[in-house]
Amino acid sequence: MKPSFKPEVVLRLRADMTFLPLATAFAEKSAIAFGLEEPEALSLTLAVEEIFVYLSRTACPGGEVRIYSRGGGYFVEIEFLFPAEDFDMKSFNITTKASLDPDADFSETGLLIASRMVEQFRFEEIEQKLRLTLTKAKTYPDHCVPDLPPASPLKGFSIKEAVDPEELKLLVRRINTECAGQVFPEICRAPGLMVDIVAAGDYKVALAVDKMGHIGGGIIWKWEGTGLIECFGPYLFGQPADSTMGSALLDSCIADIARTGAKGLINRFPTPDLPKEYFEPLGSLTFQAGDGEAAELVAYYRHLEEDLGGTVWSHPLLEGFLQHQYRKLFFAREILPVKRAGESCSPFSVLSAEFDRGRNRVTLRPVWWGEDAHFCLADHVETLRRELISSIFFEMDVGKSWQCHFTPALVENGFQPRLILPYAGKGDLVIFQLTTGESRS
Amino acid sequence: MKSCPLDNLLPEYVKQFTAYVPSKPDRELMKTFGCSRLFRLNNNENPLGPPLAAQEVLRRFPPPKAAVYPSGDCYYLRQRLAELFHKDPEQFLVGNGANEVISFVIKAFCEKGDNIVTGDKTFAVYEWVAQFSGFEARLVPLRDYAFDDEAMLGEVDERTKIVFVCNPNNPTGTYWSTAGMRRFLDAIDGRCIVVIDEAYYEFVEQDDYPDGMSLIDEYPNLVVFRTFSKMYGLAGLRIGYLAGTREVVDVIRRTCIVYSVNALAQEAALAAAGDELHIRNTRDLVRQGKEFLRKELTQLNLPLVVGEGNYLMVKLPMSDTLAYRKLMTKGIMIRTMTGFRFPNHIRVTVSKMEALEAFVEALKAILPC
Repeated sequence: MKPSFKPEVVLRLRADMTFLPLATAFAEKSAIAFGLEEPEALSLTLAVEEIFVYLSRTACPGGEVRIYSRGGGYFVEIEFLFPAEDFDMKSFNITTKASLDPDADFSETGLLIASRMVEQFRFEEIEQKLRLTLTKAKTYPDHCVPDLPPASPLKGFSIKEAVDPEELKLLVRRINTECAGQVFPEICRAPGLMVDIVAAGDYKVALAVDKMGHIGGGIIWKWEGTGLIECFGPYLFGQPADSTMGSALLDSCIADIARTGAKGLINRFPTPDLPKEYFEPLGSLTFQAGDGEAAELVAYYRHLEEDLGGTVWSHPLLEGFLQHQYRKLFFAREILPVKRAGESCSPFSVLSAEFDRGRNRVTLRPVWWGEDAHFCLADHVETLRRELISSIFFEMDVGKSWQCHFTPALVENGFQPRLILPYAGKGDLVIFQLTTGESRS
Repeated sequence: MKSCPLDNLLPEYVKQFTAYVPSKPDRELMKTFGCSRLFRLNNNENPLGPPLAAQEVLRRFPPPKAAVYPSGDCYYLRQRLAELFHKDPEQFLVGNGANEVISFVIKAFCEKGDNIVTGDKTFAVYEWVAQFSGFEARLVPLRDYAFDDEAMLGEVDERTKIVFVCNPNNPTGTYWSTAGMRRFLDAIDGRCIVVIDEAYYEFVEQDDYPDGMSLIDEYPNLVVFRTFSKMYGLAGLRIGYLAGTREVVDVIRRTCIVYSVNALAQEAALAAAGDELHIRNTRDLVRQGKEFLRKELTQLNLPLVVGEGNYLMVKLPMSDTLAYRKLMTKGIMIRTMTGFRFPNHIRVTVSKMEALEAFVEALKAILPC
C-alpha cells in the first residue's frame, strides 16, 4: 500500500492581486467538485485568499505560482508551489509581521490566519522549491459513542483485509465501545471517515473474524512519509488474555508492508494488546488527551530492515542524548560533531510550521538556519502559545549538518529531545518537544 | 543544471518500487558495528568453499585471459551439464546467477495483464522481478510452512504465465515430494510454465524428494533452476542455470543476455559440476551443524523451523531486526526474516562449528531475560 493516485487540477499564475478572484474561484469550485460541503469549501477558499494576498503583497509580488487542488476522498488539499529564488524566504516564518497593506493587522501574518481555517497547514522547502500545503478535511456526522453490547471471545478466527464499509464502521463502533479508556487516534472516532480513508487507499485495515463474520479485533496502518509506516492497534474485543489474535493481526500488517521498501513501523498509540516483543520502545511523547490532561505515551518502533549503519551530525549539546539512544537501540552510528568556526552565516532563520489543528499540535521543521535562531524559535513558541497550541514539536534531521545548529536555541527555549526516529529523514530524525513550562527566552 | 523529469518518465509500477539495498562489504560492516571478526551466517554460503578442482582453476586462471570475452553462451559448461543430466546442451541456459535466469523467464513469457503465482513466504526475487516489470505477483499463503498446492491451483487463471515453486523452500526448508510434484504438474496440465527452483537441490537427502531434471521430458512446460552459488560455493562468481525442453529453452533464450557470465565463473563451474566428494563433505557438515543447532536452540526454548537445505529458521522472543543489530556487534551476521514475512524469525546458515558455537553464545547473550 502506498498513497493512491489523487485527482488534481492545477492553476499557473503570477502572485498579483489582479488574479485573486481567479485563485479563490479555483479553490472554491475545485473543493466542491472534490466533495467538500459548501461551508468547508468556504473555509478553504478563505485560507487560499489569505495566502494569495500574502504572496502578492508581501512575500513575492509578481512571482510565478502554481496552485494545485487535489481531492483525497476525505479531504481536499491545496498546494502552492513556487521557485525559492523568487521569494523572500524569511517571510514564510509564521511570525513575520511585515505587510504592504496599510489596513493590515500587523500582529499576524496571512499564513497564521490561513492556518486557522484548515486542519493541516504545512510549509516546506524541497529541492529549491517552496511548497505551502493546506488540507481541509471533510466533516463527518457525530463521533462514535459506545453503543454495542460487550463482545464475546471468538472460538476461532482468521485474518482478512477489511474493505467492506459496514465492517469498517462496525470496527470503529467496537473500538469506541471496548477501548473507551484508551487513547486512540482521531480516525477511530468517525465511522464514515474510516470508510473514506480506506477507500482512498491511504489506510489499510485487517480484521480477525470467525466463521460467522463476528469481529474479534482489528489493526490499522498507513504510510507516514516515504519510509515509515504507522500502525494503530491491535484492538481486541473481549478476547482472552492469552489470545494469539494480537500477534496474528500484527503479522498480517507486517506481511503486507514487508516488501514495500518501508524502513520502520511505529506505533504511537500502543494498546494493552500490542505484542511488545515485536517492538522496541523509542521513548515517549506527551499528548493532550480529550479531557485536557497530558498523557505520556511510549512510541514503539520496529525496524523492518537490516541496519546498514550510518553517520549522523550532532551539536555537542545533543551528543550525550544521541549516544545514549543509539546505544540503547543498537543502531550503529558514527556521530560527527558540528561546531561553528567563525564562518559567516545568514542573519535570519526560517522554520516551517505544520499545524494539526485536530490534535492541537504543531511540528516545527528547520528550513534555513541563521544568527537569529534563538529569537526566531522564541517568536514561534510565543505565537503558538497565543494560538493555544498544546503540543509543540521540533523535528531535526541529523543527516543534515546545518540543522544541528538549532540545538542551542532549542535547549534555551525549553525544548527537550524525546526520541529518535531512525532513517525517517535524510538521516535519523530527532524529535524535540517543548516542555510544558514557559520558554526561557 | 536542469533536473530530469523523472516523474514523467517512470512507469507507475517502477515508481511504486523501492530499490533493494544490499549489505556493505564485511570490512565496512565490522568497522560500523565495532567487531573484530565476522561470521557470515546470512546468505547460505558454503563454508567449505568451492570443490578442490574449482579452487585449482581459480588459482591457475591466467590473468591475460581476463582481456578476452568469455564464451557468450557458456558452450563448454552446457556440454558438461548435458553430460551430467543426460540431456542436450540446447536444453540449458546459463545466467549471471539464478536471479538472472528468473528475469529471463519472466521476460520471455509475460506481457501486460499477465500474472505469476508463487508462495507469500519464499525467495523474494520472483515477486520482485514480476512487480518491477509491471506484472501481478499472486502470493499464496504457505500452509504449515509449505507451498499450498490446492490454493496455488486456485489462483491460476488464463492470464497466469508462470508458477514458481521453490523446492525446497527458502527459508522454511519444506519440499513437495515426487508424488506431490507430479500431482501438481498433472493438475496444471500444461496451461502455464511451472518453474521449480532447485537452488538447494544438492543438499537434500530425502528419498521422496523429486529430481526436477528427470521430470522435464514428461512435462514440457517445466523449467528447472539450479545454481553454483550454494552447494558448489561459487556465489562470488555469480553463475546459475535453467533447464527445460529444447522448445521452451529456445523461447527463453530470445530474452537472455549473452556474455553475461564471466570466463572465470564458467571454468570454475565446469570443474565443480557433479563433484560427489564435495557434496558428501558438505552434507556431512550440514547434518552435524543442524544437529548441534537443534540441540542448543531447543535448550533455549526457541521454536525452530528445520527442513532441507543448509539453513534453518529460529523464532525469537524479540524483533529479528533488533537481534540482527545486537548480533552484529558480536560479529555474527544472520538473515532477518521480516522481509520474508516471518517477523521475529531469523534464518541461520549452517556453517562450521566454530561459527555455530559463536552464534549460540552470542544469541544467549542477547536474548531477553
